[in-house]
Amino acid sequence: MKKIITLLLSVTMLAGLLCGCGAQGPSLTEEEKNTIVIWHDKEEAVSGALLEELKTLVPDVTVQMEYKSNLTEALKMVGNDPKAAPDMYFFAHDKIGVYAEMGILAPVTGLIDRQTLDAAYVPMTLDAAVYKGEIYQLPVYFETLLFMYNRRYMADEAVPDTTEKLYAYMEEKTRGGHYGFVEQHSTAYYSAGWIHGFGGCIMDENGQAGLSLPETITALEYHRKFVELMPGESEYATVNTLFQEGKAHATIGGPWLVSAARASGMDLGIAAMPVIDETQIPISPYMGVQGVQVLKYAAENKTEAARKVLQALMQPSVGVALARVSGCAPAVEACYEEEEVSSDDVVMAMRATAENTIPMPNRPEMDIMWTVAADLLVNINMSGQDVTESCNAAQQNAEELIKKMQ
Amino acid sequence: MVKAVKRLTWLICTFAMALVLIKPVSVNAEEERSAVYVQVPADWDAPCVWAWDEDGNNAFEAWPGGETEADAGNEGWYYIWIPSWADHVIVNANEGSVQTGELVLEGGNAWITVEDAENAAVSYEALTKGDIPEYVEKFEIHVDVPDSWEAPCLWAWSAPDGTNAFAAWPGEAFKQGEDGWYTGKAPVWVNSVIVNANEGSVQTEDIAIDPAELWITVEEDGSFEFSYDDPNAVSAPDIHVNVQAPADWEAPCLWAWSAPDGTNAFAAWPGEPFAAGEEGWLTLSVPGWINSVIVNGSEGSVQTTDISVETGKDIWLVVTGPEAYEVFYEKPADAAAVSNEEAAGDTEAADAGETADQTQAATNADTTADTQTTGTGLGTGVIVLIVVVCAVAAAVAVYAVKKRKKA
Repeated sequence: MKKIITLLLSVTMLAGLLCGCGAQGPSLTEEEKNTIVIWHDKEEAVSGALLEELKTLVPDVTVQMEYKSNLTEALKMVGNDPKAAPDMYFFAHDKIGVYAEMGILAPVTGLIDRQTLDAAYVPMTLDAAVYKGEIYQLPVYFETLLFMYNRRYMADEAVPDTTEKLYAYMEEKTRGGHYGFVEQHSTAYYSAGWIHGFGGCIMDENGQAGLSLPETITALEYHRKFVELMPGESEYATVNTLFQEGKAHATIGGPWLVSAARASGMDLGIAAMPVIDETQIPISPYMGVQGVQVLKYAAENKTEAARKVLQALMQPSVGVALARVSGCAPAVEACYEEEEVSSDDVVMAMRATAENTIPMPNRPEMDIMWTVAADLLVNINMSGQDVTESCNAAQQNAEELIKKMQ
Repeated sequence: MVKAVKRLTWLICTFAMALVLIKPVSVNAEEERSAVYVQVPADWDAPCVWAWDEDGNNAFEAWPGGETEADAGNEGWYYIWIPSWADHVIVNANEGSVQTGELVLEGGNAWITVEDAENAAVSYEALTKGDIPEYVEKFEIHVDVPDSWEAPCLWAWSAPDGTNAFAAWPGEAFKQGEDGWYTGKAPVWVNSVIVNANEGSVQTEDIAIDPAELWITVEEDGSFEFSYDDPNAVSAPDIHVNVQAPADWEAPCLWAWSAPDGTNAFAAWPGEPFAAGEEGWLTLSVPGWINSVIVNGSEGSVQTTDISVETGKDIWLVVTGPEAYEVFYEKPADAAAVSNEEAAGDTEAADAGETADQTQAATNADTTADTQTTGTGLGTGVIVLIVVVCAVAAAVAVYAVKKRKKA
């Protein structure tokens, strides 16, 4: 009898487990299969434009755009619970590695074949979406930092094309409470451009910290003299306010600054990044690709609806609409054939600048590197600590944290 | 192959656009404006225009509004450019002591003939000859000169091309304000000025400036200092920041600054250490203009988030953790009673704005733990189902055993 009981229990448990691993919940109704929930953290203009396009392009699929202020953390909590998780999320590519490692993402090539993607997209936007050989993001638009200047103070012909000319300009113009140039000098995202310009990196493509590389150290040593001619505080609000209120001649900022500068009545100029004299490489900031990631459950259980939504997002009209409201550069190549895009100075400037950008790493280790690099920059730029010692200490700290993470 | 062709196309396009970028692009957003001409009675001196719209938006900061300029080509006529949305105007003069009633404009350029305070006529047909002088934005220059510098004047030009803003030396006379400072205006295309006086017999050197409101202090010998910040702005007296920090935060320091201009109170992070104050409080005196602080300890390795505080007031700050603090502007009666929970619950909102606007730079080092604990792929619903099925199976089995024993 005991054998019978054991067998019965085993069969029951196995059935339960198989049930859990297979369908992962009750079968979906047709209505549920045809509903796609997309989480995002974008402003209303962007999410609204996206939703309007999807309503037009895929009227037979019900798309719900849901704003999540803490999207990345929310996904970590409920990403593998189909009842709580979205079907897709709209976010920058740099978190792909985290969620791919969690096992909640499906490669988009399962819904759209690779050849179709290659034919449609600006190549580097797809490159940014690759994690461990799989494409996990359908790119929608990309953004990068731009060199912006206030024409009231800086004439077109005075725009420095090298960093030494920029430094000379700063020395001449920084006085009386005005600054020749400001940037978020102690924020890793902004400093990365200088580091890349020297051939260094915060983290390489293999997930190795690059803070103690000779190129990184040289970059931060060189950058410090520029920092000395900028305000001590350099957080987002300070830098943007200084530029928008006409207290700084030039800045390196994102496309999100453009509309505010326009609204303030500024005669805004945008130019190529200055070339670093020593390396002859321009300041090379990170590039972020905003796009849609598909959760595994949706890819497996709402396959057709998910495919339709992705196909719709590949239509040029989507990229054009979002470029209009966000000022960012579309990822779909065909968008650049549209007059509305090709005549937009900011978008085209970003597309040109993007050639010298580095896609933000999408590995999970980068979460650690943001924090470690931020502390390093504070130590160097705000506490005046020795660059080499600080870089070596930060490298050791990063390696230890990454090791623990693994 | 397709990818290679696309990369090549992309490279060519980018190269072409990079060439375009060598000549910087323009993103201009100038406000639309209309010209208002006025002709006023002979005893109306220095006519001004006050302008607004129906929603109460004023075109100028303060009465009597924008100062008109004489049109050299049309004697007796003065003109001013106002924002096109400002369709209600009052013409006034003699420092605002005489004025017309409210005049509603239909849009476009207007010519207003003022007979007296009660009678003014508006024409939309040009009553002047020739072209209307172009709108030129101007900025104010304030100067403080020694008493021996009489009737100071402003000379301004654009370097290096040498275009002068005024017809002849010594330039335009400054007007003295109630605070003793003189104020003049120059077009925004100038980048160099000279302050002179005594009919141009004393003067400063060339002063290279940004075309933005500025304050110049001139000494007897002509030397000068200038600032784009008003030196007459009321400066707040020093304040005391009193802190209770967690016991394990060694040698707590204060970092303080003024947002959003970014002026720091201290030269380098982690700032200044607190001194022991009364009744267990740590205390430090800082400039009254700061409005943001961070309390940190252990050489800056632990810290609070950015804490916004009111300018010019003494502060009592109870810190119980990096994101748990409470700000008081009067010494709390029993600071010890402020529990961790209360502090955490009632804290002012931590400033998360910096990273919220930068989706690309999202940072969170907690990923590791979260990733490791959430990667099973099984939902809670499934687990519950398994438990229920197992329980039912066990019950059936027990029932079967009991039945067999009875048998």
